[in-house]
Amino acid sequence: MPVFVEDPSQFSKQRLKLALISHNVELPPEESKKQVYMDLYMKHIWNQSNADFSSDEEDQTQSSTEEEIREENNMMDLSLLTDDQLKKKLLQYGVKPGPIVASTRALYERKLQRLEHSSQFKVNGTCTCDTAKYSDSEEEEEEEEEENEEESGSEELRPESVSHTETSATGSTIENKLSPQSQLGETAKTCNQTPVENRVQWEPMTDILMDLFPDAATTPTGIMATKRRPIKGAAGRPVQFKYPETPLSPATLEKREIQRRLVPLWVQIIVFLLVTALLYFIYISMEDQLENPFSALLDSLSEETVTEEVSLIPSCSQDVHTSEVAAQEQAVF
Amino acid sequence: MSTTSQKHRDFVAEPMGDKPVTALSGIGEVLGKKLEDQGFDKAFVVLGQFLLLRKDQELFIEWLKDTSGANSRQAVSCSQCLTEWCDAFL
Repeated sequence: MPVFVEDPSQFSKQRLKLALISHNVELPPEESKKQVYMDLYMKHIWNQSNADFSSDEEDQTQSSTEEEIREENNMMDLSLLTDDQLKKKLLQYGVKPGPIVASTRALYERKLQRLEHSSQFKVNGTCTCDTAKYSDSEEEEEEEEEENEEESGSEELRPESVSHTETSATGSTIENKLSPQSQLGETAKTCNQTPVENRVQWEPMTDILMDLFPDAATTPTGIMATKRRPIKGAAGRPVQFKYPETPLSPATLEKREIQRRLVPLWVQIIVFLLVTALLYFIYISMEDQLENPFSALLDSLSEETVTEEVSLIPSCSQDVHTSEVAAQEQAVF
Repeated sequence: MSTTSQKHRDFVAEPMGDKPVTALSGIGEVLGKKLEDQGFDKAFVVLGQFLLLRKDQELFIEWLKDTSGANSRQAVSCSQCLTEWCDAFL
């Protein structure tokens, strides 16, 4: 507020007096010091001229003080809001909250605070439009890179420039959250991406338009017709979270497992065929040898039967045999 | 399948039933004890909280960090585990 701080001090006492008269302010006694006149001037005329002047500096400074006041009011108000009011406020920012219960209320209050902070930052940046857009994103990236030294996981979350700024916003918000929680300070250092692939998978795509146009003026209620956040997945707009690799159901899981088995299955079949061919060739080569043992067995069997007959009927057969031989000899003769 | 841990795969493979909270991916003994002290003694109770937050990963991660003191990696792992379980069974 350089304009107003300097002016009264630069004014002469006479000028201050005249100004006070022109504004119908009661003059202090003649002997009073310039400071008194200045105070009166500041008190009465400063308020009026606030309405008259519309310089950028004044707006910014005023808005910054107003913001501080607003922030304080918000911080106090959030806890005073009823569940319904909190829900409505979140809906204004395009966030669809779940039931606001004891365990979830704190989270939603914090989320609302963050949304209001980010909207206030955007109000500040309304003056410089194009240049600020790139500079802000660069600043965000620089901040993000600084934070990345602690949180090495954020790099994986930013494959593209669009999600770049978004995750930087979320990363910065998470970083803001981590800092007040000093007891979790070690977590900030150990924030890594051991499930790197998991972190790559999900890309929170919140505030797409807000980050594309970070300097768009926001209305007091937060409702903007042209810059409303996209509805998840509607009309081809990007879905809030992407899970490119998660299986949908146990059926798909099984299918994938079976598909994986098919690849080595062919190898198994080929191996099986080779083995059967091998065995077949062995069988063929063995055929000749097989005959001998069979024939040998047959011969041995027949010999055994003959010897058995001879041994079983020793005496009777001999008599019969001799009689038969005798008969045969007689017949021959 | 992505390179998830064995614990993750085991959890996502079947309905959680009555599994303890330490069955969740990212939740070990220490965190499990802290969650149990808060009343979240079974995995389905943590699932309840996840569903209350409308399956919002960011909010769940925040909640888990606040409640159990998990670090980012553990919270993300647990959140991802529950998300996939819900996709499969819910």
